[in-house]
Amino acid sequence: MLGVLILAMTFATWSTVFAAVMPAPGETLTIAVPDEPPGLDPTTSPAAAIARIVYNNLLEGLVKVDMQGEVVRALAESYSVSIDGKVYSFTLRPGVKFHHGRALTADDVKYTLERDLDPKTGHPHRDYYEDIQQITVIDARTFDIALQKPNAMFIFNLARANSAIIAKEEVERLKSHPIGTGPFQFSEWVRGDRIVLSRFKAYYQPGMPSLEKVVFRFIADPSAQMAALRAGDVDVIGTAMNPESAVELKHDPQYRVIEGLTTTDVIAAMNNSKPPFSDLRVRKAITYAINRDDVIKGAVFGLAKPIGSHMDPLNPYYVDLSQGYEYAPQKAKQLLAEAGYPQGFEFVLRLAEPYLAYRRAGEIIANQLAKVGLKAKIEIIEWGQWLSRVYRQADYDMTVMGHAEPFDIGIYANPQYYFRYDNPKLRALLAEADASLDDNHRKALYEQVQRLIADDAVNVFLYNGPYLVGMRRTVHNWWTNLPIPAIDVTQVSKTK
Amino acid sequence: MRPYLLRRALALALTLLLVSFVTFVVVYVIPGDPAEIILGTEGSPEALAALRAKLGLDRPLLSQYVDWLGRALTGDLGVSLQYDVPVGQLITSRLPVTFPLAGLAMSLTIIAGLPLGILAAARHRRPSDIGLMVLSQLGIAIPSFWAGLLLILLFALHLGWLPAGGFTAWAETPGGALRSLLLPAVALGLVQAAILTRTTRAAMLEVLREDYVQTARSKGLSERLVLYKHALKNGLITVVTLLGLQIGHLLAGSIIIENVFYLPGLGRLALGAIGARDLPVVQGVVLCVATVIVCVNFAVDLLYGWLDPRIRYN
Repeated sequence: MLGVLILAMTFATWSTVFAAVMPAPGETLTIAVPDEPPGLDPTTSPAAAIARIVYNNLLEGLVKVDMQGEVVRALAESYSVSIDGKVYSFTLRPGVKFHHGRALTADDVKYTLERDLDPKTGHPHRDYYEDIQQITVIDARTFDIALQKPNAMFIFNLARANSAIIAKEEVERLKSHPIGTGPFQFSEWVRGDRIVLSRFKAYYQPGMPSLEKVVFRFIADPSAQMAALRAGDVDVIGTAMNPESAVELKHDPQYRVIEGLTTTDVIAAMNNSKPPFSDLRVRKAITYAINRDDVIKGAVFGLAKPIGSHMDPLNPYYVDLSQGYEYAPQKAKQLLAEAGYPQGFEFVLRLAEPYLAYRRAGEIIANQLAKVGLKAKIEIIEWGQWLSRVYRQADYDMTVMGHAEPFDIGIYANPQYYFRYDNPKLRALLAEADASLDDNHRKALYEQVQRLIADDAVNVFLYNGPYLVGMRRTVHNWWTNLPIPAIDVTQVSKTK
Repeated sequence: MRPYLLRRALALALTLLLVSFVTFVVVYVIPGDPAEIILGTEGSPEALAALRAKLGLDRPLLSQYVDWLGRALTGDLGVSLQYDVPVGQLITSRLPVTFPLAGLAMSLTIIAGLPLGILAAARHRRPSDIGLMVLSQLGIAIPSFWAGLLLILLFALHLGWLPAGGFTAWAETPGGALRSLLLPAVALGLVQAAILTRTTRAAMLEVLREDYVQTARSKGLSERLVLYKHALKNGLITVVTLLGLQIGHLLAGSIIIENVFYLPGLGRLALGAIGARDLPVVQGVVLCVATVIVCVNFAVDLLYGWLDPRIRYN
C-alpha cells in the first residue's frame, strides 16, 4: 500500500514537473509585429510584412527554407532533376488538404506557377519563374517542370514566400482571407489591430502545430512593444526589436533574447554613376574613412556582425571579407587627394525616416566622414520619398539601407539598380553562376563576385542586420537565425 | 433660423469640397506613389506599371479626382489601395475607438478643467490659485505621448490596474473597452484640461471685474450666486469657443496617442494611409474629421445664442 502511495506521489510530482516543461497544447501565442501587412497575398506583393505572417504558417510552397537556411521539402514529397538540369520531376505528399477542405493536386501547382508567370497577375518577381517552359501534369500527385535552360536558383526561388501554392477557386480572397495548406488557417483580421490564425486540424503532419491560436498584433512603437511584453499582453516581440530593448531585456531572467543573423545586408549605398562617387578612389576613400565597429556600436548597440560584401553569413556561398578595408582615415585623405579632392567635398546623405538604426548609422558615418573633409548634409526623408527619389530615380549621392531579400547579390548585375553600378565582368560571372549546376564551381564564382564588388567599393558594406527577438521564457523553439524573412511558428510551443 | 441653417449646410458642403480637393492635390504633390510603396525595393518596372494600371493611377489627376468625387457623392468612398477593403468599412471599424476616446478625453477635460478654473478664479491670488496655476503650467508642458508612457509605467506595469495598450472591442466587453481607453484619454485630456483651467480662470476673472458683478455684490447677493449665475454664464462664451477648438486638437492628438497605446483608431489609420499614399483612405478620414469639426463649430455657434441672447442668427 505504502509502495503504491509512494509511486502515486512520485508520479504526481513528475507530472507537475512535466506540466511545467512540456509544451501545453492548445495555447494561444501573441506576437508583436511592427507593421501591418498590406493584404496577405505574397504573390502580388513583395512586402516582408506579408511573408512574416503567411510563410509556412498559412501558405506553403513545394519546398521551403528551414531555420538553418537549408532548402527542404514542403508540399513536395520528393523531386529529382534531369542530368541536363532542365527537367524537375516532383511528387506531392499524400493527404495534403487546403483549409477549405479540398485535396491538393498537381493541377494546383500548375495553375499557381502559370498564374505567377502571367503579367496580368502582377507578381513582383516573374523573373523567378521566367525559365519555365512547360509544366506537365502526370497524375494527381506527380508533375514535371521543364526549363528552357538550367537555372541553379530555381529550387531556391520555389522556396520563397512568393511561390506559395494556392487554390484556384480561392484566389480572389487571397488578399484578405488566404486559403492555403499550412498548419494554421486564417481566422480573423481586425484591421489596424491584429491578425489571428488558428490550428488547421486536417494538417497532413500529425501532431503539428503545437499552438492552438497565433495572434499577430501590430505595435509599431518600440516602447509600446516593450510595455506590451512586460504587461503580458504579448508573448514575443517577433521581429526587429530595437537594440536598446534587447539590451534591457537580456538582464531580466523572465525573458529570453535571441541574437541571431539575418539575410539583411546593411550598406551605405553610393550613386556610382555620379561624380565624384563615380571615381573608384573616392569610393575607396569613403570605405577607409568609415569605422564600422563604431557604426555598429552606435546604431545597434554592438549587436551586429560586420560584413565586407553584399552577402550574409547565412548564405552557403558567403566569404568573410569584413577585414578587407581597415579603418584608415590617413589612407582615405591620401586617396581623396589623388582623386583631386584634397579639401574633400560636400554631398547629401539621404536617410529613410522609418529606419531608426539606419538613420543612426547615417549620422555616425556623416561624423566620421567629416574627419577626412567630406561634409555630408543629412536629409531625412519619408519612406515613400526614399523609394521614389533614391530607389527608383537614383536621385541621391549616398544613403544607408538594409537589403533584406535573401540571396540578392544579382542586383549588382542591373546597371539601372539604384547603385547605378555597371560592370560587364560581374554580369558575366553571375550569369555563369546561375547556369552552373556544379556546386563547387558556383561557390567559386560567387566568391569572385563578392570580392569584385568589395574591391570596386561599390557600396560601404556595414553590418548584417541583427535578428533580435525578445520573448517570455514560456515560449520555445523559436528560430535562432532568420535565413528568410519569416515568423515561422509551425514548431513553436508555449508552456504554462 | 432656417436660412441660417441652410447657409451653414452650404458652408459645410463647400468646406468639405475644398478639403477633399486640397487633400487630393497634396497627396499627389508629395513624392512617392502607392504602387512604389506597395512594391517596396522589389519588383520590376513592368510589375510597377501593371500595379499602377490596376490601381488606376495611370490616369490624369483631374479625372481621378472627378471619378472619386462622383462616387463620394453617392456615399461610396472607394476602396483602400493597401488593404483592398472599402474605405467606408475601414472608417466605421475605427470610429468606435477614436470617437469614444475623444469623447472620454473631452469629458475628463471638462470635469477637471472647468471646476478647477472656477476654483482658481474664486480663490484669486490665494495659495490654491497659485498651486493650480503651477500645476496647469506643468500639464501644458508635458507632451501627451510622454504622459502616456508615464501612465503606462505606473498604472499598467507597476500597479497592473489597466492594460498597457490595445483595444478590447465594445462588443466583447464594454467594461474592457472602457478600460483600454481610460489611460489614453487621461494622457490626451491632460494638456487640454490644463488649458481649460487657465482659460476658465482668466475668463471668470475678467467677468468678475465687470460693473454688473460689483452691482450684484453690492445688492447683497451671496458670492456663490455671483460666481455661478453672473460670472460663469458670461465667462462660458470664451470657454465654449475653446472647447470647440479642443475637439479638433483631441482628434489630431489621437494620432500620437493611438500609436503609444496601439489603439486601432482613425489616427493610426490616417497615419498609415499617408505613409502608404493610400489616397482613398486619407480622403475618407480627412472628410470624416472635417465633418465632425465643422459640425462642432456649428454647435458652438448655436450655444453662443443660448449663452448670450444678444447674439442672434436671423
